[in-house]
Amino acid sequence: MHVACSPELTLRRPFSIAGVPATGEIEILFEIRGAGTESLAARDEGESVSVLGPLGNAFTADPERFPILVAGGIGVAGLRLLARHIADGDDEALLLAGARDAVRLLDAALPRTGRDGGLRILTATDDGSAGFEGTVCRLLRRTLDEIDRPPRLYACGPIGMIREVAGIAAEHGVPCEVSLEERMACGVGACRGCVVRTVDGYRTVCADGPVFDATRLVFEGGATCPN
Amino acid sequence: MPQLTTAIAGLRMTTPLMLASGTVGYGHEYEGLIDFSAVGAIVTKTITPAPRTGNAPPRLCETAGGLLNSIGLENVGLSAFLESELPRAAGLGAPVIASVAGDRDGAFADLTAAVAERDETSAVELNVSCPNVERRSTPLWADPDRVTAIVGASRSKTPKPLLVKLSPNVTDAVPVALAAQEAGADALVVANTMPAMRIDTSLRAPALGNVTGGLSGAALLPINLALVWKLAGAVSIPIVGSGGVRAVDDALEYLLAGAVAVQAGTVLFSDPDAPRRIVEGLLQRMEEEGVVNVTEYVGRAREYAK
Repeated sequence: MHVACSPELTLRRPFSIAGVPATGEIEILFEIRGAGTESLAARDEGESVSVLGPLGNAFTADPERFPILVAGGIGVAGLRLLARHIADGDDEALLLAGARDAVRLLDAALPRTGRDGGLRILTATDDGSAGFEGTVCRLLRRTLDEIDRPPRLYACGPIGMIREVAGIAAEHGVPCEVSLEERMACGVGACRGCVVRTVDGYRTVCADGPVFDATRLVFEGGATCPN
Repeated sequence: MPQLTTAIAGLRMTTPLMLASGTVGYGHEYEGLIDFSAVGAIVTKTITPAPRTGNAPPRLCETAGGLLNSIGLENVGLSAFLESELPRAAGLGAPVIASVAGDRDGAFADLTAAVAERDETSAVELNVSCPNVERRSTPLWADPDRVTAIVGASRSKTPKPLLVKLSPNVTDAVPVALAAQEAGADALVVANTMPAMRIDTSLRAPALGNVTGGLSGAALLPINLALVWKLAGAVSIPIVGSGGVRAVDDALEYLLAGAVAVQAGTVLFSDPDAPRRIVEGLLQRMEEEGVVNVTEYVGRAREYAK
């Protein structure tokens, strides 16, 4: 969803749909991280905001494989709808949610800790203040070593984590889809601003993504905007 | 009802609001979001002879009152444009102005010939002012001799209206503007983005992958407005104002300064409905002020020109 957080800002801000609590309603989940999210957080209940969407693609279901969802920090927002969908159905899945510490784990945002329908949730914190002590990528490695079914990975989080998850998926020969974030202007593929490098050339996160097959991505470092 | 019809050479537009090249892609990406009946003309993404992949990301950085971009003319190239993008753009209901840029000076005329011979093309805009691909010390947009050659060669290829998009990044815009006029341009688009940058202090690195980019949006309006003001007193061909048009008042400022039409671009990113909003606002303003024809605004502030 492309949200006009404030009339003062030149650009909208992209958010994943984190939930659909009722027909005609959507939830977004965000961390206050800059001018856009600060402004959005300051809105009062009942205020109107302009929302454009839904835009772009979505994760691919694969009934033959066991879904493992890997979330880093606020990246859980990009996986929550998928997790909810699985938890509401008969299928089984595993959500690995990682954060720096228990406070940042966004427990309340998870469908529920423990077991929820067919969804099992494991948490990891860098400081060990909740769940597994270590990064969510270490937890993923351990999980892949123990699992007895062919899995499929779905990941959303900081680019460093995405890169590591993509590497782990490649090592294990496991299919992996990742949801990416980029500075975005038009939201519809027109301006070519939010591109990421893939083996097929530059692709837009807004229209070609945000979900990409991890094997198609070419990772590179990049600066962020001061705002 | 007040009249909004505006003409540039042979190009007749139902409103004086055009959509700026680069911000609207090939038009169809915005189908269902932009009300194209409010749009005088769509200027499509600048086309180069071969496809271009564009600059390394990050390509965008928001800044106070505007946006920096360093897209680097990513485009599908001439043949894909002619084959698929141009017909789709023409189906949206507004006249299509094809923006072109040669990879060398001689290529502008070939591109002009190729796009102009198509019925779907209503006019051609020569982009001699992209700040993200120029590497010479004296850039094309500041070189009247090269502009003369490019515009003259392109002019000889088509009778269709030929617009030349200038840069605000010059010490004196008049020589280049006169060069374009004398070489046969039908109108000037004033102007493109302004070179600018930001730095990511945590990484101690430029915020854009290309280091610098072009500034667009609200912050650019006063700069390009001053340029329209200056050039309206120096050339006799029509001027299209561009830069930071977000609301009726912004468009009127350009018209009062001497522009016959305006281009809106960056505003589409926050409000794809801006064309309809601006045009409806313009009609309302004209009714309030008893203005029958939008052309009555053109140059009306110029009595203050020194």
